[in-house]
Amino acid sequence: MEKTGAEILLNTLSKEGVSEIFGYPGASTLAIHDCMNETGIKHLLVRHEQAAAHAADGYARATGKVGVCIATSGPGATNLVTGIATAYMDSTPMIALTGQVTTGLLGSDAFQETDIIGITMPITKHSFLVQDVRDMASTVREAMNIATSGRPGPVLIDLPRDVLAARSNDDEEVAGGFPEQQEAHFGEEERRRLKQIVRLLNESERPVLLVGGGVKLSRAFTELADVIQKGNIPFVTTMMGIGSVYTPNGFNLGLIGTHGTDLANRIVHQSDFILAVGARFSDRTTSVIEEFAPLATIAQIDVDPTSIGKNIKTDISVVSDIRVALQELLGLVNEKKREDWIARIDRERERIAKEGSDDGCGPAGECIRMVQECMPEKTIAVTDVGLNQIWAIRSWKVKIPRGLITPGGLGTMGFSVPASMGARIGAIDHEVVVFTGDGGFFMNIQELATIGFYNIPVKIVVFNNGNLGMIRQIQHHFYSSRYRDSRLSDLVNITEIAKGFGIPSEKVSADDPRKGIEKLCSSEGPFLLEVVVDEDNYVYPIIPPGKSNVEMIYGRSE
Amino acid sequence: MKNEVKEHVISMLVNNRPGVLARVAGVFGRLGYNIESLCVAETISPKVSRITSVSKADPAFTEKVKKQLNRLVDVISVAELEDGTSAKREMMLIGITIDEKNRPELSRAIAMFGCTVISMQESYCILQVAGNKGDVETVLNFLKPLGVKDIARTGAVALESES
Ligand SMILES: Cc1ncc(C[n+]2csc(CCOP(=O)(O)OP(=O)(O)O)c2C)c(N)n1
Ligand SMILES: [Mg+2]
Repeated sequence: MEKTGAEILLNTLSKEGVSEIFGYPGASTLAIHDCMNETGIKHLLVRHEQAAAHAADGYARATGKVGVCIATSGPGATNLVTGIATAYMDSTPMIALTGQVTTGLLGSDAFQETDIIGITMPITKHSFLVQDVRDMASTVREAMNIATSGRPGPVLIDLPRDVLAARSNDDEEVAGGFPEQQEAHFGEEERRRLKQIVRLLNESERPVLLVGGGVKLSRAFTELADVIQKGNIPFVTTMMGIGSVYTPNGFNLGLIGTHGTDLANRIVHQSDFILAVGARFSDRTTSVIEEFAPLATIAQIDVDPTSIGKNIKTDISVVSDIRVALQELLGLVNEKKREDWIARIDRERERIAKEGSDDGCGPAGECIRMVQECMPEKTIAVTDVGLNQIWAIRSWKVKIPRGLITPGGLGTMGFSVPASMGARIGAIDHEVVVFTGDGGFFMNIQELATIGFYNIPVKIVVFNNGNLGMIRQIQHHFYSSRYRDSRLSDLVNITEIAKGFGIPSEKVSADDPRKGIEKLCSSEGPFLLEVVVDEDNYVYPIIPPGKSNVEMIYGRSE
Repeated sequence: MKNEVKEHVISMLVNNRPGVLARVAGVFGRLGYNIESLCVAETISPKVSRITSVSKADPAFTEKVKKQLNRLVDVISVAELEDGTSAKREMMLIGITIDEKNRPELSRAIAMFGCTVISMQESYCILQVAGNKGDVETVLNFLKPLGVKDIARTGAVALESES
């Protein structure tokens, strides 16, 4: 039977398992919106296309499935850009559908024409312009395959209006198409290299596992936990690696790098062997690269060959799906007690606790711990960017896979509220809590309308310090406390605004938040809690620009 | 560091479709490498094109560019071609004004270098030279004083000597 391009697009997405799309219509995508209901896919209308991309991203991060967003040609498409870049940096599997002017007008500066493929080329894993309706089904399947295979990432499909309207027989396809994307193959060479890594790991006396975002992407949660338990290997995580593994014993040393804990950074500095799994050694992780882990032999496992040895010279590496590699590794790793190493770590931990150098992020951190205590264990935390992000990452104890969602790579303010909508809709059995600063909150505040409209029961905590807090802290330490352009206003009444959007809201002080937190946690639907925080509630320790991971500045978050 | 800079020939097979060259060129640009010459054409299979690029670059170049190129969905294979194990040729068209004075010298040069005459008008001719880079440049240097007006050159195309 003949179908339109729009119908074929949606039917194929549906067959590939897509059930929700986040978006915003325009004239060039109306054909798609027009038949969305009939194909059984639900569309969620956001209030700005950036939010559609972040919501799709949050959906994917919370579920492991592909997130899909849609925008019209021109301004709709360009509004997606920040969201696509965020997904690209953190390797989120995502499909971005964009409307495009009719094929006859391409390249003519037609009304609402932008070269969105050109604009997004460096921030997509791949992109397609569908020029013939007969290519529609195969293109969509291929896009899904590319988005999810190997190192995942966003794929954009540009859809000219006439191609969406054209009719074709669903299963008639122009011959050709792409070969299936090959998963990284684990063969003899990989096995040989892995054996070498395991030998070094077994021989090492002070090993540390460095866990990156790749573990989540390859769903290697249990494999990683098993390796850690069997080998008695302490681990640290990058920002993207948080929420990959939960071990109740003291093996989790926390986050490393610029915003890492004193303990994690010091132990990495002392270790003699580091095995990085799914981590790319970004500058946020290593600080000054030459001074990173000076005593350690460094081994790396990653599915993406470009991540290997990109930022740091590794001594040995394997290109492999992480789950496959960890399954192999589990059989080979020795059960070893490592009593000396564990005792040394414990002594360091006690010393740090006594000196109080890993402080608890002040009243803001305490507030986050209280929220976690009164939410169910399966709750997912979504962070924004700024001090609030570091407070949340340090204070929220992630107990489930995908239990913390944060825009680590791009550091996109305004991410959290829209991403939480996607996360909540995708992970239906999980509560979702947002931690955001006032600055980031204002960047996508319009999404309160979406949350209210669909009654998406997310709990939003806005830390209101009246400032771009993280910028203020940098100015405090490195610009002689000249607080230029980092002061926001305290004239805005956030709770009234929330109520204006139909969302119940309370305001509390970070020193006495209990009542508000109880209301937040017991609310049936969405709820916004404004927490007033002192503008000097910073995070410590921090690592100054140009310094190594053990040259921290200490202080107290008051 | 400067003396480690050398010429690198990268040969890749890519899907023959719109936009692929832009993606490939984007990789070089983002990594900060200049493309000295570039050749793109269909292979025996019309679905596949070969791109041959030449860049002057440091030793880190090959590894970085290869990895990033391999990441592109449309790139089928990438290899660096080394001098000893590959055949490398380029072609140049040379336009020269002809007058009474340079005519005899020009005829001798055409015979000596085995240039192909592509077009011959009364006062202007176009010659074709093919060979390795050195050959082509020798001819050009010889002809320059005789009144070369314009040139067009292909840049290198290359194939591995053993398949
Ligand atoms: C879109 C965007 N613009 C600018 C920045 C730079 N930036 C990083 S943190 C920060 C301050 C964030 O302020 P706020 O949201 O109030 O959080 P706080 O640090 O106060 O918790 C800024 C401006 C950014 N990360 N993202
Ligand atoms: Mg703030």
